[in-house]
Amino acid sequence: MRETYGRLLPEMRLGGLAGKLIVIEGTDGAGRSTQIDLLKPWLEELGHAVVDTGMTRSPLAGEGIRRAKEGNNLGRVTQALFYATDFVDRLENEIVPALRAGFIVLTDRYIYSLMARAIVRGMDPRWIRSIYSVALKPDAVFYLRLGIDQLLPRVVFSRGFDYWESGMDLYPGHDMFDSFCSYQAALLTEFDRLSAEFNFQMVDAAADSRTVCAHLQQNILHLLERDSRKNFMSRLYNDSTAVPQADDTAIYAVAAPAAAPTTNGNGHHPHATHHGQ
Amino acid sequence: MEIASGVRIGPFEVFAPLQPAVSMVRHYGEHHFPGRLIVVEGIDGSGKSTQLSLLHKWLESKGYGVVFSEWNSSPLVKDTTKHGKKKKLLTPATFSLIHSTDFADRTERSILPLLKAGAVVLCDRYIYTAFARDVARGMDRAWVRELYAFAVKPAIAFYFRVPLETAIHRLLDGRDGFKFYEAGMDLNLADDSVESFRLFQGRILSEYEKMIPEFGLTVVDATLPIEIQQMQVRQIVKAHLDKAKELRVQA
Repeated sequence: MRETYGRLLPEMRLGGLAGKLIVIEGTDGAGRSTQIDLLKPWLEELGHAVVDTGMTRSPLAGEGIRRAKEGNNLGRVTQALFYATDFVDRLENEIVPALRAGFIVLTDRYIYSLMARAIVRGMDPRWIRSIYSVALKPDAVFYLRLGIDQLLPRVVFSRGFDYWESGMDLYPGHDMFDSFCSYQAALLTEFDRLSAEFNFQMVDAAADSRTVCAHLQQNILHLLERDSRKNFMSRLYNDSTAVPQADDTAIYAVAAPAAAPTTNGNGHHPHATHHGQ
Repeated sequence: MEIASGVRIGPFEVFAPLQPAVSMVRHYGEHHFPGRLIVVEGIDGSGKSTQLSLLHKWLESKGYGVVFSEWNSSPLVKDTTKHGKKKKLLTPATFSLIHSTDFADRTERSILPLLKAGAVVLCDRYIYTAFARDVARGMDRAWVRELYAFAVKPAIAFYFRVPLETAIHRLLDGRDGFKFYEAGMDLNLADDSVESFRLFQGRILSEYEKMIPEFGLTVVDATLPIEIQQMQVRQIVKAHLDKAKELRVQA
C-alpha cells in the first residue's frame, strides 16, 4: 500500500494506486525537462501509459503564480503557500487519478524542490515539512546533481539571468551574478541535506544527456521489473492487496503486452524485450 | 523517514524572517511591535462586520492610525480563489491552501509592516475562520493549525456568538439562497443550499465553541442590540489600548 509522509487528505484512498510515481529532481539547469522528454516516449514505447507533470501546471493556481511572479512583490510565505496550493491541486486531480489508473507519473520536481526553496528563504523546516506531509511517497526520486560551476554556464549562457532563479527576492541590492551564486549554492546545500533524508538516487548531471538518460532508464526498468515480479507473485498467492480494483485499467503485468513495442531498433533499453511478462 | 512527526507549532509563533537567508527564525508570535491587532470572528450573519466598522470609526475619531484588512482580499491571490470557486475546482485541501496563501500575502504585505509602524490593525475574520471552516470540511485539525503558524497572535480576538437560526434569518432577509462554497455545497451534505448551509455552519459553530478556550477568544453575545455589543467592544478595546503606550496617536 502506498504511503504519505504522515498525513492523509480527506477522501484520499491509498489503496489501488497501482501506477508508479517517479520524481526527477534537481536545481535549475540540471536537465530535468530534457530527461523527461526522453523518458516519456521511451516508456510509452515499452507499453506504459505516462503522465508528466511539473510546477505551476495546475489549472487552479498555475496562472496565478505566474502573474504573481511578474510583479516581484511576492512574499516568501505567500510564495511557499501558493506553490503548495499548486502542488496539492495536481496531487489530487492529476497524480492520484493517474496512479489509480495504473499510469506512470513522471514529475518534474516534487515536494523536495519546494521545501528546499522555502527553507533557503528562511521558512521553518518543520513548518514546510508539515504542509507537505500530505504528499505521496514516490517510488523513486532521481536527483540530477550539478555543481555550481557546471550549473552557471548552463543556465546563464543559455537564457541569461532570471530574477527568481537568481534568488533576487532574497538578496536585494546584489547584482544578479552574486545573487545567483549565493542562492544556487544555498539550494545545493539544502538538496544534499534532503537527499540523505528522503533517499534520493543521485545522478551525475554533468554527464551528457544520453548517458544520464541511459542511467535513468536502467534504474527505472529495474524498478518496474521488480514490482511486476512482486505483483505477479502476490497474485499467485492471492494477496488481495495486489489485486487490481475495477477502476485500475492497467497494471504493468497486464499493460505491457497489450501495447508491446513495435520496433526494436533502440539501443537504449536492452531489457525492454524481457519486460512484458 | 517520516516528516511532521508530531511537531506542534502553535499559531502563536511566527517565523517569517527579517533578514535574508537567516533560517529558522521564529520570533514574531507574541510580537513586540508597537501596533495592536484586533480581529473579529463569527459565522456569517453574526453581525461582526457591523461591529468592526463601528469600532473602526470610533478608533479613528480618537486619533489612532487604523487599518482594516478583510479575509480573502489579497490583490495577488484573490483572483485565483475566485477562479477556483467559479469553476468549482476547490477541494477541502486546496480551499484551505489558497485561503492561507491569501492570508500570507496580507500578513507579509500589510499586517506585519503596519504593526511595526504602530497602527491598530483590524481584521474581519482571521485564522480562526480557517480553522473552523477547514476542519468542518474534513481537514486535519493539527495540519491546519500548523499551516497558519506564521500568523501574528492578535491582542484581542472577538467571537460574536449567535444561534444558527438567528444568523440564517438575518442572512435570508437580504438575499435568496447561499453561494456554493459558503453553504458547503462541495461537501454534498444536502441538495438544498439553505439546508446545506445550516448543516455546514452548524459544524463551524461547534469548531468555534472549541476554540474559545483553546485560543482565549473574547465572546460577545451577538443577539444583544447592536449598541450594547458595541459598548462592550469599545470598553474592552479601550482598556487594552490605554496600556499600549507606543501606539501612534495623532495629536
